[in-house]
Order: sequence, then C-alpha cells, then structure tokens
Amino acid sequence: MTRKRSKTIDLRKMRKAFALKPLAVGVAAIMASGCADDRQDAKIYTSVEDCKTDFPDAVEKCEAAYETALQESARTSPRFNSEHDCEYEFGPNQCQQVSNNGHSFFMPFMAGYMVSRLLTPGPIYSQPIYTSYSPYSSFRSRWVTADGQVFNGDIRNRKYKVSPSVYKPKPTVTRTVSRGGFGSSVRAKSSWGSSSRSGSWGG
Amino acid sequence: MLRIPVPPRGDWQQQATEFGFHFHTMYGEPYWDESAYYQFSLAQIENHIEDPTAQLHQMCLEAVDRIINDEQWLHRFCIPPEHWDLIYHSWQERDPSLYSRLDLVYDGKNPAKLLENNADTPTSLYESGFWQWLWLEQQVDKLVLPRHSDQFNSLQEKLIQRFVEIGQHYAIEQMHFTCCKDTEEDRGTVQYLQDCAQAAGLHTDFIYVEDIGLGDTGVFTDLRNNPVTDCFKLYPWEFMLRESFGSALYEANTHWLEPPWKALLSNKALLPLLWEMFPNHPNLLPAYFADSTTHYNTGKWIKKPIFSREGANISMVEDGQETRLSDGPYGEEGYIIQAYNPLPVFDNNHTLIGSWLVDDMPAGISVREDNAAITQDLSRYLPHIIA
Repeated sequence: MTRKRSKTIDLRKMRKAFALKPLAVGVAAIMASGCADDRQDAKIYTSVEDCKTDFPDAVEKCEAAYETALQESARTSPRFNSEHDCEYEFGPNQCQQVSNNGHSFFMPFMAGYMVSRLLTPGPIYSQPIYTSYSPYSSFRSRWVTADGQVFNGDIRNRKYKVSPSVYKPKPTVTRTVSRGGFGSSVRAKSSWGSSSRSGSWGG
Repeated sequence: MLRIPVPPRGDWQQQATEFGFHFHTMYGEPYWDESAYYQFSLAQIENHIEDPTAQLHQMCLEAVDRIINDEQWLHRFCIPPEHWDLIYHSWQERDPSLYSRLDLVYDGKNPAKLLENNADTPTSLYESGFWQWLWLEQQVDKLVLPRHSDQFNSLQEKLIQRFVEIGQHYAIEQMHFTCCKDTEEDRGTVQYLQDCAQAAGLHTDFIYVEDIGLGDTGVFTDLRNNPVTDCFKLYPWEFMLRESFGSALYEANTHWLEPPWKALLSNKALLPLLWEMFPNHPNLLPAYFADSTTHYNTGKWIKKPIFSREGANISMVEDGQETRLSDGPYGEEGYIIQAYNPLPVFDNNHTLIGSWLVDDMPAGISVREDNAAITQDLSRYLPHIIA
C-alpha cells in the first residue's frame, strides 16, 4: 500500500538552533556544506592584526573589511530581549546592550570577521562572525554568521570554502534609493479589532 | 470521519521549543490541540478530498485563463489596470507556483464544497507538513495509535521537490524569503519554507517586507543592498499591487512565489466566476456578486468581501436580512455572496478541512475546528490520521 505521507523527514535539520527566539534572526542551515563549484576561499580573523600578518601589502583592506564587518554586526547581529536569553545562547559576558530607536536589546559581541576576495579586484566580501561559550548552545565552539549559519568544524578551523551570495549575474545595485514601499497595508488594516489575531497576513 | 480523543504526548511542548514551533499557543488560546484527532478512511481521503482538490485546481486554472483575457473580469477582480501586464506576463510565461490551500466543507459523507481558495498566502503549513507528521510518527511508536495509521500529508516531500524544480526553472541557487514584522506565525511559516528550500539545495536569505528596498537600477534590494531577484513572499498580492513599491514591480522583474497570476485565485471574485463556468458542480457552492443578484432574497447566504483574510467582514444574509458576523477593515472593493453550507459539527466543534496543493498536486490536509459556526482566526489545529 502506498503511503499518503512524507516518507522521511530529517529531524536534525528541523531542530532550531535559536531555541530562545532572538528578535531579528532566522536560522539557516550549514552554509559550507553545499557543493557549488564556484565556492571561494574565505578566512576568519579574530583581529585586524591577524589579517595584516596574512596580507602585509593590504593592511588598508584588512581594516576596511573589519569596519564593514563591525557595521554589519551592529545592523544584523542576533538580537535578544534580555541579557539572560542572549547569554544562554552565547555565554556569560558575551553580550552587550544596545539601544536603537527607543528599543533596547542585547546582542553578542562580534568574535571575528570572515573575509574573502581580499586581493582580487571588485568588492571585498566581509561579514561578522560569532561564536558561543554557552554549554546550552549548539553554536558552542563553532563559528556562526549573523543569520545563524553554522560552519562545519570547531573554532580552530579558520579557513573555509564559501559560496558567494551572488551565484549568477544579477542586476547591479549601487545604492538603495528608498525602503518601506511594501508593508503599509499591514499597519492600515491591522488597527481594527483587538480580540482577533491581527498579526498574520496568511489566510 | 471521526473525532477521537487521545492522550497528548507528555513532552510535546518541550519538543515544540526544541523544533522552534513557537506559535502553538496564540493570544492566550491553544492553537495546536492534540487532545483529539480526526480519523478518515482512505476512500474518504482519496475520493472525497484528493480527487476533487486536483479537479478544483484545474478549474481554477481555467478561470485564470478566462479572467486574463477579459477586461471585464479583470475589473470585477479589482485588479488595478496598471498591473494587468504584470499578471498577464506571469501567466503567459507560466511562472511556477509553489502551493495553495483550498478550504473545504466536508462531513465524511457528502461531497466536499469549496469555501475559498487560499492561493496566495496560505498558512498553517508548518503544523501540517511537519508538526502533525511528527505527532503521528511518535504516537505510532508509543503504540497510542495503530501501526497501520497513515496521514494524508506529503507536503514536506513535495515542497522540497517543488523547490528543486523551481530552482531549475529559474536557474538559481539562492532565493530571498519575506514576511511582515511582528508575526511569529508568519515568520515560522516562512522559516519552514526556507528549511524546505535548503533541503532542495537552495541558499536562502530572509528579509522583512517592510525592509525591502528599491535600488537605483529599479530592482528590489535586501538590507545588504543585494538585488532580490527570486523571492518567496508571505504577503498578499492585493496589498503589494496597491502599495508605493507596486509601481516598481514590473520593471524590477523579480521572480515571485507565489507568481502574480495567483492574485486572481486568492480573490473571492473567483467563487462567482467558478459557479458561472461550472454551474452545479458537486464541489462548488452557488455564488454571485452581491451587486448583481437578487438570490439573497431567498435562503441563507454568506456575504464576504472580495478581499479579506481571517474571516473578517463576513455577514449572514437570510431571506434578504443581513446579520453581521464579524467586523473588519475590508469591503471597499465589493462583496460576493455564497450559499451557506454549515461546517459539520463534531463534539460541539465546527470543523473545516484545508486541502493542500503543491503546484497542481494534492499534498495533504489540515483540520481546524472552532467553537463558532463560521471559522474565525482563533481556531484550533488538530492532527488527523487515515485508518
């Protein structure tokens, strides 16, 4: 008899690393596990000095990559409502309080930054990297990106092959001229009835 | 079709935390309810739900073809004329669709009747495709349910396969996923689809709808200023077409899931059109546009706005007398009426079947029940088995 349900589901992949619901992050799967041919070398540095040692002729680029990662971290790092939730995921004294537009939240310190294409023409690829010292976290002693992608191996591993975020020729964008052009109907339509679920726009 | 009480798994809430199912309780009310389940026979599933679902979907596709070639229907469906090209092209190109959910009235005996087609932004996907699947596996392992128990639920398998096909169709290895801020349920649904896309080998990036940007070259951008070229959105077309970035949609040339032609199917104007095209079809309820019929002067009808979600702005019309059943912000685009066909009652619960399609393939059901006769948005989700 043929079964009417999915044969198997990989439960390991269905478990979510962020058990404590960070405010602004989704969790993706292991990034470096894909087998795309166009993956490129990337390296994680825990200080600008490490990078400069590797690239004595490109110290400015090391600094620029670090600055980019810091700015990215401020914008895209996992965010938690409480210090406890953040430390539960990232470990004691690994979190800082940040205020933004009147909202206060906690985010982990950047543990390093991942760089590729440092010596090739074109944009440098740089992003903040985190790790966890918490015994409760699946990130413990592993590298993880701001959007929750966990790299294979433990933190002694600094070199990876990563897929570039842009896989095929995409339209170029030099800058974003405006944001917020979608989503206004939500505010307009969700102001009615408080007894009802007003959040979801699914049907 | 039976409703059978069953002991809940002792650790299900702990597992929900572990798996990231955070919206099992919403607004202080239980949403996931495993204190009972529904049991169907295989014949009920295959003959009464699966086959009609496939057929209804084909009828809907025929309807799209009708609407798209007739300006009168496009007006009837309240599609802004500046977006007719967008929708027309997405249909001409046969832009692939991912999924839909048909809401059916079904009592186990009589033919299932289509209440509406959630063709654009259906939710309750995670709890259907994964969470009730896990419930069945575990309850069978614990011998709480008989070993031969099955479930009409190949959603996850089919979604992954569909993402493989869509990846090949557009020759992509990456997709963006988007939904609104401040809704854990929508974020959970989108995360589930990201999981499915990743299982299909796609890299996924998430951005909130409100954060989407417009680049200087006319394409949409994410927060890293990368172009959004292929995007799943849990956000209705009827909103997107009318918001300020709507005017950029055509030039931006984004491949959206669901594609723009789905805007025609998530629209309640579909119901009177289907009734006109397929009168007296056993799986349809009589339906008319409220402004061009006098049918509501006799019998019981449900009056719904052409655009609405979550059961808002619904009235009952009985022999011409209108009684409002729910409030809401919708209705400015007009109303349809649909013959009232009450939901079946099991142990004082009013039960609604959601029948899923992945592309054009029936892929499972979700069972929701409510204390009120017309399903509202605080309904409970119950698992089901085939036995």
